[in-house]
Amino acid sequence: MAKLGKKARKFAKKNLQSVLRHKRKTNSMFKKKASKRKQQDAVEDHEGDKLDLSSERKPEVQDIGDISLDALLGGDCSDLGEDDSDSDGYLEVSTNAFEADMDDKTYLGEDGDVTALSVQNKDIDSELVEKKKKLDKLKEKDPGFCKFLENNDERVHQLSDEEMFSDDEEASGNDTQTVGESLNSSKLKLITASTINVLCQEATELQNVSALTSLLNCYRAACHYGSESSGFPDGTAVYKIQNKEVYSTILAFMLCEADKMFRNLLGISCSNCKKETILDMKNTSKWKTTKPLMKSYLRSTLFLLNQVTDSKILVFSLTQLRASIICFAGFPSLLHRLIKISIHLWATGDETLSSHAFLVVRDVAFLYGNDWFDICLIRTYKAFIGHCKFLEPGMFNHIKFLRNSIVELCSMDLQKSSSKALVSLQQLAKILQSALQTKNKEAVKKICSWQFANCIDLWVEFVSSNIHDYDLQPLLYTIIQIVNGVAHLFLGPRYLPLRIKCIQWLNHLSCCCGIFIPVGSFATDILEYKVGKVGGKPGKDFNFSTSVRLPKHWLKSQNFQEQCVSSAIELLCTHFDHWSYHISFPELATVPLIRLRKFYETTTNEVFRRLVKRLIDQVELNVDFVRKKRDEVAFSPKDQQSVESFLQCEKSSGNASFKQYYESIIQKSVSQNLFTSEKFR
Amino acid sequence: MGKQRIILPPDLPPEVSEEEIQVSDEDLQFVNDNLDYAGFVSRLDTHSITKHVTRVADLKEDALEALYEKRLKKKKALQKDEEEEEEQPGIRVGHVDTLPVKTLDGQLYYRTLLNTSKPSEGEGEGEERTNETDKGLVKLTKAERRAKLKKSKKEAKKQTKELPQDEVKDNPQRAVLAELKEDVTAEESFETKKCKLAELGIALLADPESNIKLLKEMLQMCNDGNHAIVKLGLLSLLSVFKDIIPGYRIRLPTEKELEMKVSKDVKKMRYYESTLLSAYKAYLQKLMVLEKVSLYQHAVVRCICTLLDVVPHFNYRESLVEVVVRNISSSDEVIRKLCCDTIKSLFTNEGKHGGEVTGAAVRLIANYVKAHNCQMHPDSIQVLMSLSFDEDLGRSEAPDKDKKVRNKKYKKGNRSEESSHLQPTDRKKSRQEMMSKMRDEVAADYKAASFAPDIMERRRMQSETLSAVFEIYFRVLKHTMQSIVPRPSGDTGTTHVTEAHPLLGPCLDGLAKFSHLMDLDYMGDLMDYLKKLACSGGKTDSSGKCLTVSERLRCCIIAFKVMRNNLDALNVDLQDFFVQLYNLILEYRPGRDQGEVLAEALKMMLCNDRQHDMQKAAAFIKRLATFSLCFESAESMAALVTLKHLLLKNVKCRVLLENDPGGGSVSGSVAKYQPYASDPNQSGALASVLWELNLLTKHYHPTISTLASGISNMSAAPTQAYLSTLTPQQAFRDLSLERESFSLKSNAAKSSNKRKRASEGVTASSVDRVLEKAGSLDEDEVKKKLSEHYTLLRGVKENERLRSELDHTRRALSLYDEYKKQKKQKRRRKSHVS
Repeated sequence: MAKLGKKARKFAKKNLQSVLRHKRKTNSMFKKKASKRKQQDAVEDHEGDKLDLSSERKPEVQDIGDISLDALLGGDCSDLGEDDSDSDGYLEVSTNAFEADMDDKTYLGEDGDVTALSVQNKDIDSELVEKKKKLDKLKEKDPGFCKFLENNDERVHQLSDEEMFSDDEEASGNDTQTVGESLNSSKLKLITASTINVLCQEATELQNVSALTSLLNCYRAACHYGSESSGFPDGTAVYKIQNKEVYSTILAFMLCEADKMFRNLLGISCSNCKKETILDMKNTSKWKTTKPLMKSYLRSTLFLLNQVTDSKILVFSLTQLRASIICFAGFPSLLHRLIKISIHLWATGDETLSSHAFLVVRDVAFLYGNDWFDICLIRTYKAFIGHCKFLEPGMFNHIKFLRNSIVELCSMDLQKSSSKALVSLQQLAKILQSALQTKNKEAVKKICSWQFANCIDLWVEFVSSNIHDYDLQPLLYTIIQIVNGVAHLFLGPRYLPLRIKCIQWLNHLSCCCGIFIPVGSFATDILEYKVGKVGGKPGKDFNFSTSVRLPKHWLKSQNFQEQCVSSAIELLCTHFDHWSYHISFPELATVPLIRLRKFYETTTNEVFRRLVKRLIDQVELNVDFVRKKRDEVAFSPKDQQSVESFLQCEKSSGNASFKQYYESIIQKSVSQNLFTSEKFR
Repeated sequence: MGKQRIILPPDLPPEVSEEEIQVSDEDLQFVNDNLDYAGFVSRLDTHSITKHVTRVADLKEDALEALYEKRLKKKKALQKDEEEEEEQPGIRVGHVDTLPVKTLDGQLYYRTLLNTSKPSEGEGEGEERTNETDKGLVKLTKAERRAKLKKSKKEAKKQTKELPQDEVKDNPQRAVLAELKEDVTAEESFETKKCKLAELGIALLADPESNIKLLKEMLQMCNDGNHAIVKLGLLSLLSVFKDIIPGYRIRLPTEKELEMKVSKDVKKMRYYESTLLSAYKAYLQKLMVLEKVSLYQHAVVRCICTLLDVVPHFNYRESLVEVVVRNISSSDEVIRKLCCDTIKSLFTNEGKHGGEVTGAAVRLIANYVKAHNCQMHPDSIQVLMSLSFDEDLGRSEAPDKDKKVRNKKYKKGNRSEESSHLQPTDRKKSRQEMMSKMRDEVAADYKAASFAPDIMERRRMQSETLSAVFEIYFRVLKHTMQSIVPRPSGDTGTTHVTEAHPLLGPCLDGLAKFSHLMDLDYMGDLMDYLKKLACSGGKTDSSGKCLTVSERLRCCIIAFKVMRNNLDALNVDLQDFFVQLYNLILEYRPGRDQGEVLAEALKMMLCNDRQHDMQKAAAFIKRLATFSLCFESAESMAALVTLKHLLLKNVKCRVLLENDPGGGSVSGSVAKYQPYASDPNQSGALASVLWELNLLTKHYHPTISTLASGISNMSAAPTQAYLSTLTPQQAFRDLSLERESFSLKSNAAKSSNKRKRASEGVTASSVDRVLEKAGSLDEDEVKKKLSEHYTLLRGVKENERLRSELDHTRRALSLYDEYKKQKKQKRRRKSHVS
């Protein structure tokens, strides 16, 4: 069963509650995940809107309370061309008019598969017939009533209209379908399978413009099908689609072939063309004839994208539309709409849909460059910020994907994106600063959230993947300070996940950028958390990866202890591994070793002791190794070049025992993570 | 009085018929209370007053009379002015005013009469004034009038019916009304009381000497049932006392003195003083009582603190100090702050009370600390920091004083001898002696009266204070010592650490500040204590309690400060403190311990140290370098600055910068470096090489990396003034995250755009990878989906249509009923017509 369009959803909510209930039941049976995702999406949509609102309302206020993370870049790329009316999507056609049969009745018998909706429809129909009979009887009995009815006809209709659309601002001015039908019945045209086939042939083989025009009209009708609210202005014909085959053929055909046809009309080659080619053609007659057709096609497709919720259809139409992205050059407002829609789909859709949507965004950013790149970047960033507020176990990969795609987008123009990153980081820093200086509660709360963490995560990823291509030193420094500040701010054991994240970021940055960031004390601090008496029993299952702050009861559990020890070992290992061949490794390891030994002596848990002992042994091995090698060299610390080349050969060969140990640790933690994430899926 | 101002006479009070003047109960009571003053009212010559007054108002007189009148009016105006200024019921009449005035009819008018006749019209706080000033009072009078009216009505009814109780029962409404009225009157009475307080206060401030009696009345009001009124009363009394308390101590006259005949002024003065004193005493007693009531505590403590702050010289200050000290460690933030501030101001403004209160307060605090076994809020000891001791007083003057004393003694001895020798003395001589004795006595009296107690006295007081202060400090130290003694019972440490030693911090601060005033004999003990405290953490594994790293560092710092303050006159071995610092560096945790303290310790112990022990310096250099590899940038920076300082001072330690096998010529007794050694002298650091600097040059923080590379190149450029002025503390503060400005200069202009990536060239991005997994889409499937979508839409559409139609039909059916009704009506109408 296909998902409902926006309008249809509204309608269903109002009138089809039993159906919905039924649907929910079946859904929950078959597609539990999908429905969950959808609900989430809905929720997130809502929040995203709110977020936008708040940021737009107060972009200037310096108050910490009002610095929302996405009030980014002053980007006021609000929908510019949204106000274009739909009316010009209709193309005037003189030929191929089809008289419509009033075949309402065909519908009921048509479907073999009985859906809940059709059952309800039948019920209503039978009731209607009954009532009508009664009314007719009354009319027969009392001719006076007939007159009375006619007099009060207005009332009957108006009342119902108001009721139907009282909540639907789009439709407020329009007639209901029934009324429209009776009024415009003369212009109603029925689209049948045969006509479509004929038109298709004409359009592709003969390149008949008029055939294409009527095809586009049909296509438009198909796209708008189910959303009658879009009233047709006078003089346009109402197309009626005969059945589902016609509907699917016309949509599929248009989506597949439209791009080719337009290119033929304009005479552009299929691949590699730039927006300039389109813009150059603006004054040619070819363009003038093609422009309305193209516009109608694009507009209808966008409308379809808004209406449909099934991911397969969306993916299909997005991929087809992507081929003709270049056509948007003439219609900036439509381009805006395209960006908006595809970013929405990117942020909310499932894996494939999301990636297809991102491809569209990326192509737009690449093909149109400059301002459009900015718009894409800001919008994606905002959507990302809006969507990463809460992290559910299932969303983990999605958020990661979103982050990676933004980084990819950023990598397209490093100069621009680094300035944006700077602005964003400054905002983060401002919040952090007030939290550090005044312990401002609101700011602290803001920092201790997924939104803040994901934001840092994004820029850490950005910096670490692009540091070699561009001068990002100021960014790097700032982000390290911010991470340090966050780690500094949240010392308590309850913030263990956040702290682990911080150390991971620092390790990652240090690794990618080849700089030294001291994390030894951060990591060993984790070992020394004092949580009072530890109850031996394992705590309740709790997904570690999806929270920033731990619940209190968890602190006393065995799990917490395990988590502390394993993550401390893991983080220290990463840190050590990075510098394991450096000449100062023995000194680097000194302080952590002292602390590890102390922990080893004090702890009573045999498992922990073994784990820590192994780490100590491995580190000591490496210390001895480096020290022995070091004693052989003749250069002094000031001789930087010799120091750089120290042990480089050994590093490249890479079979030191510490390396192996590190790999085993990492593997273990990965499998552990997989296990837990599976458990909570 | 002699001023000749021309002021128009104030309007005469409006004509009010006798019946309309309502005398409130309060007024009546006031008159009754002050019958002495009101006595003249009965003696008033109403006739002449009215005659005079009306005549003054009347302007139809001949010129001479008018002139006279004018003069009279002027005087009267002045009189009135004064009256208004003073706002007092009974005006003392000056001599000038007592002269009678003879009118043209030959009658004498006494000023007094006229004078007092004015207030007589609105005796006490008459309606006249209330009408003018306070709206609240106007309301009140109205309400009271109403109440009275009602009362009279009631009475009338009573008289007629003589069934008052039944009446109430008859009208339950009335009862409710009465209740309501009570509420209203409660509110009103609150207002009146407030106003009354204000009036009394103003009157007292305006002329305390004549109105001193009003104090008692105000005190009376503090017994009110209403909390707000009591608080207001206390506070307004406070402000009154603050203003009227004289700058000297009041000594009540002895009986002998009382018997003596004194002038009127003196009598008045005596009366005034005694009244003031007794009122003050009563007020304080009231405060003491109310202080225990939590409801009033804030207000009362505020009163007491202000009093002690403003009039510390005045009588009964001892009890004030006592209360303040008692509250110094209050758990209530506000009260504690108030008390501490008051004590501090006592200490800093000793001129106000001549230092006597200081001693008393410190002594009280000492007792208090003792009583609470050192479990108090740190603020209560912190106040001692604002004490100031005059060192010169102790030193330079002391010998003189001694000499004087000796001289005196000597003289006295002589004199006694002389007197015995010269038994048959002249009268003259004895008289002279008498004179000198008298002079001495007077001088002594003067001294006692003046605020400059002689130096001896001050010295004594100061030494007393000092001893109390040190008693406190030593008590705290001792208590801490006792608490850290390992206990046999194996408690887990966590719970005890929190209990901790709240007073230790301020105590150490105080020791650092005042240690130079201490007797050298105690110095050894003090250092001993400090050493033990600093070492205490070392063996805490078994013991229950231990000091935090910051506290131990503090102990080390204080030990060094004490040493420096005494100009190193002490011969104490500080080696242990160095050992402690050497180990404490490793125990330091950025979040838990205060980095400033560590930086200060580095500064005090390493940078300012004048000893040049190469082994030790090398050990610290190595340890600091290792330390900076592990901690945040601020700590690292502080360590590196110290390291640099050490390297600059100890030239020989620069062998650490060179990779010289075996430590070259200077290697110590230990041939190999022991990184985990706990004694700097046993570490063998001279044999090591500062490889840490290489890693530090890669530090993310640019300041640190430049400093590190600077240090590693130091041997090349031996004399360098670079950064040598920077102290570890300064370095720490500069780099601490709290100070981080996060100001980013977007150096877009400078940065060279190295490479603008071509997007198509991006190697298999995450997106592409996902897409590969997903595979291509099947068109047929899409078609199927599309048709499903269509079906659904169609169904929805159909449903919508059917529903609307159904609605129409239903409505039409319902209209049928209406139609029927109308038809009926029509029919009826027809029938009516017909």
